Amino acid sequence: MNWESFKKLKGDEGWLVIRRAAKAIQDALRQKMMTLKHKADVAFVSSYTTDPLADYVQVFAAQSDLAVNQYIAPYGQFNQELLNPKSELYRISPQITFLLIEAESDAIDEQASRLQGLVDAFLKNSTGTLVINTFPACPSWPLQVLPDQRRILIEKLNSGIIERYQNHPRIQILDLDALVAYAGCQNAMSPQMMSMARIPFSETFLGMLARRVISHIIATLGLARKCLVLDCDNTLWGGIIGEDGLDGIQIGHDSPGREYLEFQKTILELYEQGVILAINSKNNYDDVMQVLNEHPQMLLREKHFASIAVNWEAKPQNMQKIAEQINIGLDTIVFIDDNPAERQMMRQLLPQVETIEMPADPSLFARTLRETGCFTRAYLTEEDKNRGQIYADQRQREQFQQSCATLDDFLKSLEMVVSIRPAGKDDIKRVAQLTQRTNQFNLTTRRYTEADIAAMAQNPNWRIYVLGLKDKFGDNGTVGLAQVEIQPKQWRVDTFLMSCRVIGRQVEDALVDRICRDAAKAGCISVSAEYIPTAKNNLVAGFWDKSSFKKLATDKNATRYELLLEEYKPKILQYLNLGE
Amino acid sequence: MYKQLEKIFSQAFGVDKIDMSMSIDSVPGWDSMAHVGLILALQKEFAISIPPADAIELTSVKNIIQYLVNRNISSG
Repeated sequence: MNWESFKKLKGDEGWLVIRRAAKAIQDALRQKMMTLKHKADVAFVSSYTTDPLADYVQVFAAQSDLAVNQYIAPYGQFNQELLNPKSELYRISPQITFLLIEAESDAIDEQASRLQGLVDAFLKNSTGTLVINTFPACPSWPLQVLPDQRRILIEKLNSGIIERYQNHPRIQILDLDALVAYAGCQNAMSPQMMSMARIPFSETFLGMLARRVISHIIATLGLARKCLVLDCDNTLWGGIIGEDGLDGIQIGHDSPGREYLEFQKTILELYEQGVILAINSKNNYDDVMQVLNEHPQMLLREKHFASIAVNWEAKPQNMQKIAEQINIGLDTIVFIDDNPAERQMMRQLLPQVETIEMPADPSLFARTLRETGCFTRAYLTEEDKNRGQIYADQRQREQFQQSCATLDDFLKSLEMVVSIRPAGKDDIKRVAQLTQRTNQFNLTTRRYTEADIAAMAQNPNWRIYVLGLKDKFGDNGTVGLAQVEIQPKQWRVDTFLMSCRVIGRQVEDALVDRICRDAAKAGCISVSAEYIPTAKNNLVAGFWDKSSFKKLATDKNATRYELLLEEYKPKILQYLNLGE
Repeated sequence: MYKQLEKIFSQAFGVDKIDMSMSIDSVPGWDSMAHVGLILALQKEFAISIPPADAIELTSVKNIIQYLVNRNISSG
């Protein structure tokens, strides 16, 4: 079995096939014959056998460029593993531990307190993330004409679990009850598997559960992809626009056409959660634009797309242009195309792009997209909800820029308003996210978690500035950040970054200016700063020099700078208006 | 039936050909976990349900073929 065929495994091939693929992947990783971009250390601690689940996880994760290093606790040893501080689990201390257990008792209070005991022990003995499950409230065939009391109790137990743990920063809930209901109890649970292998689930359900497991890993490690790139004909609508014409293509409430509407609904849902959209299609540009702008049944419109590449060039080539235009890495892109040949080409030429294996039946498109899980995040910020639109606005800005004679004209007519303020409680998630996601305009590339930022925001020796930018095309949101450590004589710029979508707009100068003015006001003598080079931030190598900072020293890790405030002359910000 | 069985064995253990002498003791990779997968694959391929008591007996190619014949699956 070769790598190309691994990539096409969907999970319905049967565990036997998956198991063999998982073993081959493990061997290839061990012998360094294959490398995957991301790596996760994961443990499965369970009341049942999890080896088959781990096989599915290995295969699907590898398809998402993720190597999962697994620790599978001995069968049924979950109590010992969690309660004993010297257990193998705590010795290995994986990033994510999945505690997958069955309800041992119908007494829900007892079950809840057992779970709480396990969770408390974990939180005390580990620094990783714990994923716990809700219990499937599977109905049994009623013996009387009465509601199923056991099911009602389990539902109560589940709501208790969700209420107690849903906002805990180190605990995630895998809603197994909902997942089993989604699959159908009869399809999900398998008495035969239970008696043969001590696994409560059917083969098919193991595949679904594995996808949820991977979603938790992707969300915890912040590996969610950013951009969904779509083909048009027979993907967004049925038929071929170039041949069938505007009236001939299938999209709308009637059948055929409904399935594409459902698919577009799911895409729009992702857009509303911050996924950037783009089109990569072999067509006449005007034909596609006509569908986007004029077809009465389309849900997706021109305004939703951050990049529209419609021409007769090869799709991998277009993909590179799309990534360039949006200014994101190819490894943050997911590609959907109904044509297997196009998918194959993309996989071969641009393996960094995640190309989804689509079913032949378009009525399964929506479901396939939902179940990929490559856009899953642990939480959604306000910024996430608007991101899709922000990037689509950017495309209009660029079209506008091309119509301007000079860069100067363009910047002047953008009518930019910058606001800089200290980060408040509501900014903490976004600030953490900016430190984690920003690679190019990032002077020090220090990554901070939400907990780090929350602590800094409380500390009087730190000041966190956030920068927002509005212009005539819309609100760009929070796009700049500086974290400054305050000392009596000197302020130290620990982190200084700008979102890549506002590069070249001179807003960074406003932030430097604000820091310097505040420092001077506080009676400080100088501001210190650093540049720490990485593979991706060469763009800002000369930033502090340009901002009139003096180079002090360079060692192999960093270049240090200082600015004496008595020599500081503020830059004239000719394109920016300062907001409140 | 022989061809179908050969396909399952090839997917599971990477063997191109099966013969009567093959068993859980002689085929690399055919362990107790793989055995469960094998039973599931047999059920799917031949559209039968194999009770646990039968499953534990199907530990050789010979036994499997004999079993399938007894379950009225034509040998071919």
